[in-house]
Amino acid sequence: MIICERKPIDEIKGFIAGKKKVLLVGCRGCVTVCNAGGTKEVEILAALLRLDAQKEGVELTVDEFTLERQCDPEYVDELADLVAKGYEVILSMACSVGPQFLSRRYPKERVFPSLNTCFIGGALAHGVWAEHCQACGNCIIHNYGGMCPVSRCSKSIMNGPCGGSSNGVCEISKEVECVWHLIASKYMDEGRLEEFAPIQPIKDWSKSRDGGPRKIVREELVK
Amino acid sequence: MANSTNKSGAVMVIGGGIAGIQAALDLAEMGFYVYMVEKGPAIGGRMAQLDKTFPTNDCSICMISPKLNDVGGHINIEILTLTDVLSVKGGEGDFSVTVRKNPRYIDMSKCIACGECAAKCPKKVSNYFNEGVDNRKAIYVEYAQAVPLKFSINAAECIYLTKGKCGNCQKVCPAKAVNYEDKAEEVTLRVGSVVVASGFDVFDPSVAETYRYGQWPNIITSMEYERILSASGPFQGHLVRPSDHKEPKKIAWLQCVGSRDVNRCDKRYCSAVCCMYAIKEAVISKEHSPSLEASIFYMDIRTYGKDFEKYYNRAQDAGVKFVRSRIHTLTPGADGNTVLEYIDDAGEKQSETFDLVVLSVGLTPRVNLPKLAESLEIDLNEDGFVQTQPLTPINSTRAGVFACGAVNEPKDIPFTVMEASAAAEAAGRVIAEAKGTMTKSRVYPPERDVKNEVPRIGVFICHCGINIASVINIQEVVDYCQDLPFVELCTNTLFACSADSLGKIKEAIDEHKLNRLVVASCTPRTHEPMFREALAQAGLNKYLFEMANIRDQNSWVHQKEPAKATQKAKDLVRGAVAKAALLEQMYQTKVSLTKEALVVGAGAAGLNSALSIAKLGYPVHLVEKTDTLGGNGPKIFSREKDVRGYMVKLIKEVEENPNIKIYRNSYPTSSHGFVGNFETKFQGPDGEFSIAHGVTVLCAGGHAHKPTSYLYGENPNVLLSLDMDELLATNSETIKKPGQTFAFIQCVESRDPDRPYCSKICCTHSIESALTILDRNPEATIYILCRDIRTYGFREKLYQEARSRGVRFIKYCLDCGKPEVVAGANGKLNITIKDHVLNRPLLIEADYVTLATGIDPTPMREEIVEVFKGQLSAEGFLFEAHMKLRPVDLATDGQFLAGLAHYPKPLEETIVQAKASAARVATILSKDHIMVGGVIAVVDPDKCAVCCTCVRACPVQVPKIVRNETDPALRGHAYMEPAMCHGCGVCVSECPGKAIKFQFFTDEQLLAKVEAMIVEKKAKPA
Amino acid sequence: MSEFEPKIIAFCCQYCAYNAADTAGSMRLQYTPNVEIVLIPCSGRFDVILALKAFQSGADGVYVAGCLEGGCHFLDGNIRAKKRVVYLQNELKKIGLEPERLAMVNVSASQGPQFAAYVDEFAGVVKGLGPSPVKKQLAA
Repeated sequence: MIICERKPIDEIKGFIAGKKKVLLVGCRGCVTVCNAGGTKEVEILAALLRLDAQKEGVELTVDEFTLERQCDPEYVDELADLVAKGYEVILSMACSVGPQFLSRRYPKERVFPSLNTCFIGGALAHGVWAEHCQACGNCIIHNYGGMCPVSRCSKSIMNGPCGGSSNGVCEISKEVECVWHLIASKYMDEGRLEEFAPIQPIKDWSKSRDGGPRKIVREELVK
Repeated sequence: MANSTNKSGAVMVIGGGIAGIQAALDLAEMGFYVYMVEKGPAIGGRMAQLDKTFPTNDCSICMISPKLNDVGGHINIEILTLTDVLSVKGGEGDFSVTVRKNPRYIDMSKCIACGECAAKCPKKVSNYFNEGVDNRKAIYVEYAQAVPLKFSINAAECIYLTKGKCGNCQKVCPAKAVNYEDKAEEVTLRVGSVVVASGFDVFDPSVAETYRYGQWPNIITSMEYERILSASGPFQGHLVRPSDHKEPKKIAWLQCVGSRDVNRCDKRYCSAVCCMYAIKEAVISKEHSPSLEASIFYMDIRTYGKDFEKYYNRAQDAGVKFVRSRIHTLTPGADGNTVLEYIDDAGEKQSETFDLVVLSVGLTPRVNLPKLAESLEIDLNEDGFVQTQPLTPINSTRAGVFACGAVNEPKDIPFTVMEASAAAEAAGRVIAEAKGTMTKSRVYPPERDVKNEVPRIGVFICHCGINIASVINIQEVVDYCQDLPFVELCTNTLFACSADSLGKIKEAIDEHKLNRLVVASCTPRTHEPMFREALAQAGLNKYLFEMANIRDQNSWVHQKEPAKATQKAKDLVRGAVAKAALLEQMYQTKVSLTKEALVVGAGAAGLNSALSIAKLGYPVHLVEKTDTLGGNGPKIFSREKDVRGYMVKLIKEVEENPNIKIYRNSYPTSSHGFVGNFETKFQGPDGEFSIAHGVTVLCAGGHAHKPTSYLYGENPNVLLSLDMDELLATNSETIKKPGQTFAFIQCVESRDPDRPYCSKICCTHSIESALTILDRNPEATIYILCRDIRTYGFREKLYQEARSRGVRFIKYCLDCGKPEVVAGANGKLNITIKDHVLNRPLLIEADYVTLATGIDPTPMREEIVEVFKGQLSAEGFLFEAHMKLRPVDLATDGQFLAGLAHYPKPLEETIVQAKASAARVATILSKDHIMVGGVIAVVDPDKCAVCCTCVRACPVQVPKIVRNETDPALRGHAYMEPAMCHGCGVCVSECPGKAIKFQFFTDEQLLAKVEAMIVEKKAKPA
Repeated sequence: MSEFEPKIIAFCCQYCAYNAADTAGSMRLQYTPNVEIVLIPCSGRFDVILALKAFQSGADGVYVAGCLEGGCHFLDGNIRAKKRVVYLQNELKKIGLEPERLAMVNVSASQGPQFAAYVDEFAGVVKGLGPSPVKKQLAA
């Protein structure tokens, strides 16, 4: 899933400075699952903003609404009646797709992101998420013991490890495990290190960002 | 239920301490009616007096308090306080017990425990609950959490009752509860069996002149020290010494005062708990004041229980000093200090001054136990405790009378709790056919459905006599609350909890068509069940009730600020009313259950558990991994008991019991379900099979550790304890050859960093073996090389016998070097050890060396832990639900454990734990259904984002992601099995989709309450 | 002007903290009436929104009281509550509300004296901070 975290409250306060009517829109997709933008986070952010306004003696209305997903127009449509009430600011608590879809659908509204979209990853434990993909467009993890060197090696090298690997961790930080150490260990444990020894060919990066923003069109689905 | 037997379905439990409480609760839940007889004015016993408990440092009163309330509120437990047992006639199944209820001089139905009486009572007397460290009044409650929470007058202390003057308490009692005319009353009760759980007395050290107890103020007993440490004790938890109320800087604990001392104290046995409680007190004291110097003077440190050894190690790391010395003389020092003189390990004489000396006093039989035993017609042993036999450790000498806890032998709380459950099993078993014949159940009128009604709230503000009314202006609160939203009726009442007030509340519900109720009075902890009951009787759902605590948390704590207290009362009632308006009807639902048990493992624990469950009347599936039953049992030889004969008989009984189905060569592969409804798959000799069961008992066992040291496996004369047992059991002639030398080495690969636990049985076992050798070969020379000798309880007598018969004990320690064993040229085994007295190496030429290795748990990770979702300790033993009070339960409801899988223990304790597991099993299987629901978390599937947050956050692994019930193709959602949810609300507070509702504490209810408490009145809706 | 009387809400768990408050009552320990208690089943039920709502409604201080660490009847509810308290303290700081207005305390059931002492101590801290800026605005 897409892992996000909430922007610092100061930044969000900056978006609504001087405004009196704000709509805060959550998303029940990835950001609910990664505890960044679901109903609960919407409720907390709204409460913080209200509290801040109350403290300053500023008039502020924050309305809350959580969509099924902000990355599908049909769901974004559901906001129409609410938006018609007239908000000075719409804060999206989704990944960066959310505020873009909201802006496109409601072009007259001022839409701001309240989350920073961080990476594609998964939960390692309660409250811990780690990056596992950089959307390079050409998956090769089968060649690396089921691990992704593109996203999980600091240098994204294809034939590692580099000299910075020490005791299983990366030289950039002891908190970062060296994926090359994990890959090599796995092959060793399975007694097939020789399968892994050959130099891997140069990766085809053409499906990554070389053609600008990417788009997928499934002709059989297109009406 | 028709009673087709002449047996009574009631049991009498004598003693209201933790042993009696556990036995009573188990019996009541097993389907028997319980009379709990308590000599004092309240139940709770010794545990209520303790500050913290080892080895978890849990607050003692916090743990026992919920149990007290469970007993107090149980419909099938009748507490008889201030009551003595006079005689027990008849026999097993049909006893007539005559008891005398002594006068309390307080009408329990009227007393509101306000304390006005005690405040005005002029008579100060020594407060025995605080061990006499401070005073109380002649009219008193023992402690704040007492059950029943009712005052009583001690007639011998009361001025009115002794001299006919005073009468203050009667004058001031706002409830008119004082009755000086109260008289003793004799009652005869018919019961089927009796459980004696009357506990112990603390040894009085004043009989031993040496200790200067009672002469010097800063010499105190450990029990006094507990009260001093306690926050509710005489010094409110400030660690000060009695003489000058100054904080002590150096404290000494003297062990074995009134234990292991025939000369001065006439006590031969070890009191079994003092080492641990002294260490605990030292550790807690150092937490109170880190610079404190704490020294413990001991003979042997006996930290033999689960996690005790690690606790001892941590205490050493924390700087508690341990000195192996028995102090013979105390000398007075300056400023109330005491000088102790002792010889240290190096043989040097030392003299040290202490501010405070704590005597670690032993446990002795109750002073009235001989009289009680006479009434019960049971025998006491030579030490004055209830006589039992090793293999029937809870049976007294009279059929149908069972004993548990420290009344049998000194013991700690977990083992007391195990024995109490085992006693419940025994007491229940002899009247199994009368189950349910004496129990009561509550019947209610049909419930009025108020779901679609606008809230109509009734508010009752209690005066509690003058308890609340003397501080809070009740009328002002009443007037104020009339206009709160949805309030239909607001009135005051003198005592909300009195029978007539409860009647009026019920009438008001009818008359005013109330559908929510708020009572502003004392604390819901004690009174909520009573008011909920009143609602149920008036045909309202019992959850439509909310309390405002305006006494314990208001009038009592703001006595000098009536205006503010009145304002606070308004706030609290406003909050309660706001929450009440949002309360919803909640229902518990009935879930059927499989009334069959699964027992895994057929060693002594599993066999006993299965047999006991079967005899209580429930089918048992006994699954054993190997092809033989018995586990370690048939390999054991004991001088004190015929273990092998016992095991043969036990196995035969199990095999012949029609209620038990045995599956050999089988092991579990997967299990699912919840209490009452489990299903477990097994791999057996003929392939896979499956068993449906309502409960599970895990008895996976353990085995003797096989060492790699001391020539084991290399030299045929180096034996393990069980090898020696085999020689002794077969009466081997080799043992009897004259002139032989036998050496036992204790703690082999045990109590070391790899196995930081004591296996509990090895000291006693080696000594038993040594004595058997001496019985058969009186000329043999025997050495036992040991660290601490841990013959706890009555086992100490074996140690005394061994010493008196010439067994030589040589102590070694890990730091100063373990013994070394090499094969000698003469075919002998040469042992070198440094003698601690001579302080030089000693050579022993032994014919046999027996290694007392510890017990390793059976590896349980795959077949037990992964299948049944248990947890293992670092040492590989199963984690029980609570170390102190739930030693037979696993964390998952409906799962239990017994035997070595829990922790190393001697056979007699395994038997106890196994029988206890049967009682715990019966508390579930005795029911026709289980009630689930209530104050728990419930998921709204539509809102669930299947994110797994609850799955990860739950402390007891209850939430699961399940398929949609109506259509498996639909999206799944999180699901919490109502029977499993413990009701903490952690998941609710973390759910990112706000899909989980915590019933009775919903966000809406709590938010409304909080807002209403802060924000002044809102207008009543039109 | 009369002395500032803060309004403080305490969320107390049923097993230990609420029990400790009752114990303080039965011991007749006198403490400031500024604190009012809301019963929750476990401090793990404490939800940040509860504290936010209290502050929004004009509370000058909020604290959560749970069992002693290691003594939670639901294993780690009190630890989780503590983390939420710390999290919210940081957020309050960022919107310019003194984080000292929110706290977590651990008491056992028998610690009536400690409970009472804590009430006074916390009320003292809040008094020192003065009325919540939110409340000032509400009153205005």
